[in-house]
Amino acid sequence: MPSVQAAMSADTLEQFRAGARAWLRANIPTHAAPLEGPESRAFVLDWQRRMYEGGWAGLTWPSEFGGRSLTVAQQIVWFEEYARAHAPSTHNASFVGLNHAGPTIIACGTDQQKAFHLPKILSGQAIWCQGFSEPGSGSDLASLRCKGRIEGDEIVIEGQKIWSSYADIADYQELLIRTDPESSRHKGITWLICPMDLPGITVRPIKTMAGPAKFCEVFYDQVRVPIAEAVVGGVGNGWKTAMATLGFERGTASLALQIGLVERIEKLAADCTDPVIAPRIADLRADAAALKAMSYSFALASESGTPGPEGSLIRLYFAELAKRASDAAVDLYGIGADQLAGDHGWAYDYLEAFSETIAGGTAEIQRNIIGERVLGLPRGKA
Amino acid sequence: MDFEPNENQTAILEGLEQLISGQAIEAPKEGVLLAFSEALDAELALGGFLDIAREEEFTLLDAALVVERLARLPVSAEVAFSALVAPLFPADAVQRPFALASGNALAPARFLAVARTLIVDKRDELLVIEVDPARVQPVESLFAYPYGELASLDGLKVQTFGAEMAAAVRRRWRLAMAVEGVGLMQSAIDTVIEHVTNRYQFNRPLGSFQAIQHRLAVAAGKQQSARWLALRAAWSDSEADCALAAGYLQDCIPTMVYDLHQFCGAMGLTLEFPLHFWTYRLKAMLGELGGSSAQARAAARATWPDAA
Repeated sequence: MPSVQAAMSADTLEQFRAGARAWLRANIPTHAAPLEGPESRAFVLDWQRRMYEGGWAGLTWPSEFGGRSLTVAQQIVWFEEYARAHAPSTHNASFVGLNHAGPTIIACGTDQQKAFHLPKILSGQAIWCQGFSEPGSGSDLASLRCKGRIEGDEIVIEGQKIWSSYADIADYQELLIRTDPESSRHKGITWLICPMDLPGITVRPIKTMAGPAKFCEVFYDQVRVPIAEAVVGGVGNGWKTAMATLGFERGTASLALQIGLVERIEKLAADCTDPVIAPRIADLRADAAALKAMSYSFALASESGTPGPEGSLIRLYFAELAKRASDAAVDLYGIGADQLAGDHGWAYDYLEAFSETIAGGTAEIQRNIIGERVLGLPRGKA
Repeated sequence: MDFEPNENQTAILEGLEQLISGQAIEAPKEGVLLAFSEALDAELALGGFLDIAREEEFTLLDAALVVERLARLPVSAEVAFSALVAPLFPADAVQRPFALASGNALAPARFLAVARTLIVDKRDELLVIEVDPARVQPVESLFAYPYGELASLDGLKVQTFGAEMAAAVRRRWRLAMAVEGVGLMQSAIDTVIEHVTNRYQFNRPLGSFQAIQHRLAVAAGKQQSARWLALRAAWSDSEADCALAAGYLQDCIPTMVYDLHQFCGAMGLTLEFPLHFWTYRLKAMLGELGGSSAQARAAARATWPDAA
């Protein structure tokens, strides 16, 4: 099994760690990250730009597109230091660009798309959102109905998307539409890059139970995009491109969050003096150690290529652990405690954790993937 | 054994339905975090529904049925403490609405933002504090109750009672949680059943998938079990029954709330979907009075005092 230490010499990694720690100590924002609206956009872009200028963005992305072509082992060390330093949550408006759209464009995009979009994502010049789900197409993504009519060298989009986090402040959307009206299910779908400032786009924010209005509904009324610039992976080939996107989302996208959760559970253990809660915290520590081992080995094994379906095992494990950890934190500290407030407070996580078993494929979909594609069990009737 | 409502209970519940329909209660449109209804709270007090357990011809169980029914509404009122805990005190000795705190009088407490009396269980004694509303700082919380806190008790009128009264209040507090909780669970389950019946994915209703049916069946079974335990506790008013009912309820909350939200997908995470009106309140109860393991220990002490 590959390991962080084996992937690079220990000395080199420790030097890298020291550099990361020093930079974070000197550069972490002193004020809390706004959770929604234009303030959130400004904060996220500014923080991303600072990391980019400091050489700490896109560590594993190709250097020709602004990345640093470093190893997954170094990426892991950076995330460890990032979590220990209480740097701004990575579950913010930059998440889709850095973890879905960017990796998908690297894997499936044209040279022009890579050259134009990847440096913008890394250097804090663009925010992305996702446009996959629709009111009638959640877990059943292949039933999507948002249409794209091909007219010459353009696609004209008509329809609706929902649960598009940060669409109200995004520059681009990774959009999944049906371009072949005769097709059904997985065929005739196209993955495209949709600029969010085009005429005909209307965005409606939706308040979530965690507080911020980061979810959005997006309506498209005769929105025109040029095929050559917008389509990623080929017209009608969008399901395959989307599976690459979801492979990243279910695979390595949450690595920083997983490492952050492990760190936070360690803090819970350090703070726990209540003998009633202590056994729960002990269980959480065991779970956290298991998560760490699983996510590191999977990330290292996915170093060259799109993550496989085994990522669903880790995605599910992480999501359910995040819920249990935030439940225990609220019980341990109590309502009104300082540990529950703010950007790194458990109260937000307590309610936000609900989305972890829904976003990127519900826990039930992840279980189906594990059953069918990892364990090789027979497929059930849809 | 008789599991059907008696004449008195039927009459009370019919009267309550009339009051509720007269209020034209709807879930707050904006998906508010605090769904406290001052109007409902006042009407219930005026209608005498919160004093039932004080009346000779009625029982604590009758009051519990009122609490359960009102918990099913998408708005909250200070019902459970008034109807089930306050009757331990003489009618004119304490003024509602009530807030209850465990140990620390200065900790945030449910309903303290609207309370006139704060009752603090310090185990070996009980403090009954006359609250000056101007002294209460509202606490912003995600748990759908009007939380508040006091900065100090200086200048407030405080009555002190002994350990026996503290234990009695704790017993009724457990009962209040158990009864309110089963009402909340029922409405949450009803909301989800409607959703999974009408929401289609993969060309069939979500509710036709066994993975969902089985877990909803478990939730329904847990709610029914919790309900009978709560009603039994209201009937017996015993230490062991009240602790068992509260502990069982708290034990059910994490899995049930998780499953119910999970079955509603992203829609269930928004404030435009009503599920949170009930699940937020359940979550607020999760750790109250030390959580389920503390109630289990209390039940064990009451049941086997020599062994505990």
